[in-house]
Amino acid sequence: MNKAAPQKDKAQVIEERVAVKVDEEYCSRCSICRSLCPFDAIIKDAETGKIVVDIEKCQVCGICYSACPARAIDTIYYDNDSIINYLEKAKAEYGSQALVIMCKGSAPDFAGVEKLFGVSNFIPLSVPCVGRIADEIFLKAIEMGIAKIYVLACDEDYCRFERGSPLAGRRILALNLMLEQLGYGKEAITLKRNSLKVKVDKDLCIACGNCVFFCPYHAPKLESEKGISIDLDACKGCGLCVVMCPAFALDMENWEKERISTLIPKLLAEMKPPKLLVFRCQWAVFPPLNGNPNPNIGFIDVPCAGRVDAFHILEALQKGADGVLIAACSEDDCKQEGVSARSEHLVARLRERLAQIGFGDRLHFCFVSPRDPERLDKELQEFRQGIEAIASKGKRK
Amino acid sequence: MIVTELKPLDEILDSISPYHKVLIAGCDGCTQPPRGLREAETLSRLLELAGKQKGKDFDFKVTTVVKQCDSVLTTSALEPQIEGMEAVLSLACGIGPQMVAELFPDLPVIPAQNTHFMGEEKREEGILLENCSACGDCILALTGGICPITRCAKGLLNGACGGARDGKCEMDPERDCAWELIFERLERLGKLDRLKEYRPPRNYQVKAWRLTP
Repeated sequence: MNKAAPQKDKAQVIEERVAVKVDEEYCSRCSICRSLCPFDAIIKDAETGKIVVDIEKCQVCGICYSACPARAIDTIYYDNDSIINYLEKAKAEYGSQALVIMCKGSAPDFAGVEKLFGVSNFIPLSVPCVGRIADEIFLKAIEMGIAKIYVLACDEDYCRFERGSPLAGRRILALNLMLEQLGYGKEAITLKRNSLKVKVDKDLCIACGNCVFFCPYHAPKLESEKGISIDLDACKGCGLCVVMCPAFALDMENWEKERISTLIPKLLAEMKPPKLLVFRCQWAVFPPLNGNPNPNIGFIDVPCAGRVDAFHILEALQKGADGVLIAACSEDDCKQEGVSARSEHLVARLRERLAQIGFGDRLHFCFVSPRDPERLDKELQEFRQGIEAIASKGKRK
Repeated sequence: MIVTELKPLDEILDSISPYHKVLIAGCDGCTQPPRGLREAETLSRLLELAGKQKGKDFDFKVTTVVKQCDSVLTTSALEPQIEGMEAVLSLACGIGPQMVAELFPDLPVIPAQNTHFMGEEKREEGILLENCSACGDCILALTGGICPITRCAKGLLNGACGGARDGKCEMDPERDCAWELIFERLERLGKLDRLKEYRPPRNYQVKAWRLTP
């Protein structure tokens, strides 16, 4: 893109934030983190014997952080202090003694969580992977007077961080045994597993076979005459089939077409111009615990960039968004068999069409990762400058 | 399936600009990718955005037909929708708009697609290929399942012309020489003797324009 050079922030010195790092002063080199890391991102330096994080491989799941017995690992996301601060505030705000810790990957909306656990008012704590929640968070919560803790983890074969969900299971089992001995009763922490998958409306299916081709997990089967059938055990919930279905016969649990369509105007109404709507893959961007303070930006979390639907992008532009940005994982980071690359292609195709009617520059696709915490802000800033340039050009006419 | 391509949006906008209420009719049939309800919805949104920019306000209604080439299905799908509509924008191949025009003689119909060919879809490569010309006199049994009428630039019936270079056609170096493919295939099947048969010029009169199934 041939744009004016972005304005440099004056004298803004930001200390480089590293997503995950090992503090060698505290590290006892026990290697527990190494044995738990699902991505082989923690290595023992052959020469010095020090434990270091290979940040390029790291997916910032936080499992190592929660497991380090020496607390030698630091992370900028959902660290213990931030979570405890959040819990203290949220406890007063929600006025509840029940805490639900849920993985973003498998948590339905609040009504769904209520139904799942049979609790009506609860303090929500949504994290990418419950495997990153350390023992001390559970104990601290109980100490704070939280009477009941519910944990919603992904089904083990659905866990995007492979070892996060099983680890949470083992951790809760051990904690429950200990808490029982301490007189907190049986099952002080209730664990449930869930996953969010595709739904089919067979009446709408036109048996075209698109989903059969696009699904990276071979979940849909097309048997002539009977239309589509989906092997739900194989489905990993990326949502690509949903956006590829020409007949709107497929939808996705918790990320239903209607739900996103309702969310778009609601978010836009709360925003100030220039309004930038961001579809962010929940594994590419970890939202801060305290929400989003920028009035120009609205976020819609998606289970994977694969669920970003041209339909919704157009809807956003139609309903007053000045720009739409899609934040996806790179192909290497994608938790869904490279679906994000497909998404990039689909967005590029839509962009071509939008360019025909003068809206091409209002759609931007970028690869981001939680390991690079400033990246999305940079992309947004540049995108915003582009949008503002279009606007001022329009005015001058 | 029938391979079509969306027309430039400007051209579609021009064609529909005299009208306000437009029915966008998708076709679930054989166009690839199917131009069904999703494509109709997408197009309606794109055209609305484009219209707004030009100060033109459209009122779109969106629907789809199982197959716009079927008179019964098209009538039953569109009849309940056309009340008050000023025009129909058809997402089907070239047959669709003609069918709609015939069934609803008072309603202007506009094609949204350019229709290219009957094609084979290679999913992995993401390409669509014209491999059949609907000539009405199929000789695939003699040519190892590869059509020289369509895939040979010269439509030759009796073997390669001699102009191929490295297996590619002299008319288009991107394209495989159909007769080299036929040779390889027949060799593989042990049927190379087929190439010795002389094939007289084709009888183009057998190509039908009307059939009664």
